[in-house]
This record gives sequence, C-alpha cells and structure tokens, in this order.
Amino acid sequence: MKDALALGGGGKKQSLLRRDLALALPLTSLIDAFSIIVIYLLIGTQNGGMETQVPSRISLPMANHSQGVEKVAPILRIEKGNYFLDDKRIAARDLTDKLAEIKKNSEEKDLELMIQADTEMKYAELDPLIKAGSLAGIEKLKFAVVPGK
Amino acid sequence: MSHKKELNFEINILPILDILSVLICFLLLTAVFVQIGTLDTKQAVGDNSTAGAKNPPSLWVTMAADGGVQLSLRNVPKAKVLESRIGKSTKGVNWEALEGKLKALRDQYPDLKTSVVRPEANTSYGDVIRVMDHLKQSAFEGVGLSPLG
Repeated sequence: MKDALALGGGGKKQSLLRRDLALALPLTSLIDAFSIIVIYLLIGTQNGGMETQVPSRISLPMANHSQGVEKVAPILRIEKGNYFLDDKRIAARDLTDKLAEIKKNSEEKDLELMIQADTEMKYAELDPLIKAGSLAGIEKLKFAVVPGK
Repeated sequence: MSHKKELNFEINILPILDILSVLICFLLLTAVFVQIGTLDTKQAVGDNSTAGAKNPPSLWVTMAADGGVQLSLRNVPKAKVLESRIGKSTKGVNWEALEGKLKALRDQYPDLKTSVVRPEANTSYGDVIRVMDHLKQSAFEGVGLSPLG
C-alpha cells in the first residue's frame, strides 16, 4: 500500500523508484535460466568419453557388456554394402590397401578400428572387412554398440 | 513535452526469460542422448603363424542363419562332450538356452577363456553381436570373429 502511494506521487523521485524496481525484478528469472543452463551443461559433459558421430539411419546393435569409447580410432562404416572409412567411400577391393596404409602411418603399435554397422545387416557384408583387417595386420576391432541397461 | 520524457523504453525481459527457460526445459526433455559403447574383439592377423604353437582351450560358436547354434570345444583335454547343438526358437536364436550352456561350460572348464564366433553369410549382424555379448557376459576374455570360408 505504501509502495503504491509512493509510486502514485509523481515527479523525479517517482521515476527513479520505478527504474530501481525494474532493474531489481528480472534477477530471479536470470538465476533460474542460468541454473538450467548449468544443469544442461553438466548433463552434457558428465559422460566423459569421446564423441562419436553415428548417422541416424544406422541402428546400432545393443550390448550389455560394452566398453566406453576412450581413444580416437579410424571409423569404418558399412551402409548397404558400401564401405566408408572416416566418411570417405572406398571400394571393397581397396579395403586391405587402405587399412594397411593407415596401420603404416599410425604411431600406435596396436591400431584399433571402430566398425559401425546396422543391426539388420548380414554377416556377408562384414566379412570383407574382417579379411581385410586380418591381412592389414589390425588385431583389435571395436564394434560400435548401444550400451544396454 | 514533459509527458514524452516519461515514456518507458525499457524492454520487459521477464516474459522473454520465462519463454527461454520453458524452451530449454522442452529441449532437455526431448533431446535424445545417445551414448555409444564398443564391443572389442581380438582377431587373428594374416602373418600369425600357428605352426608349433600351443593353442589355448577354445570354444567355437557356429551360427546358422536360421538361428541354430553349435558349440564345439577345441584343445580341451578333459572334455567328454566336444560338440553340442542349440536348436532355434520361434524368434531365432534360443538365447536362454545359449546363456545356460555357456555358463555351464565356464563352470565345467575354468581354463576355457577363448572363443571364436563363426557365423554363416546370412546371419544377422545383430545376432552376431549379441552372441559375442553373451560370451563376454560368461567371462570369455578373448572373443574373435571368423571370416567366411
């Protein structure tokens, strides 16, 4: 009531009081917005592992005993019989040469290769890659999966 | 003239902040956080010579395209039954029977830590991954994939 009377008074004092009120009011909403942003960032960063891009058209298989992605590894994606090495399409007959080249240029002794493929794919499509990896001397294959519960 | 000076040019940011916070909440609720894991395998490489080397006890899992699974024990000296077959279920692989059989084998042969999965050309990639997941669950340390013959 007092405030209402003070505001209704008019003059320079009144306009100053109004301005003060206008500046003080948005703080609560600002704090709310910032706390939501902080929670959002915390959720986004708590996973810790490496970020890996998987196209939405690929439905990865599910596995309960998977491991987190901790190291950067060359990604080989199989899509409808086509092979993509780090998003670059390569022919099946060139797989061995390309993998051998990567292994040769890699500083790591035990090079790992991550394989991304659709759960509905047939094993015959994966077979050339298994053979090429074996011939190129790549021992460790990491199959991308969706961790189960 | 004095009336013009009293015009309030301050933007009311309260509703803007409210809308923003509602939007952030909406995005948080609708966002799909896809976490990716990997299922690791250790493959035999082309230049690995097996001549003269002592092979460890291993379990070979042969997968038929219709869902039938055959388990074969190799290099297990005390094994009485070397081969066992798990018939398919109405949905494909009989996962319950496979899990039970793997558990029984691990209990019977504690030294059995290596396994090789041998799928047929038309076997689903999702089923291959699921078999490897079951092997990892049954504490098989070295799980490998065999190429098609």
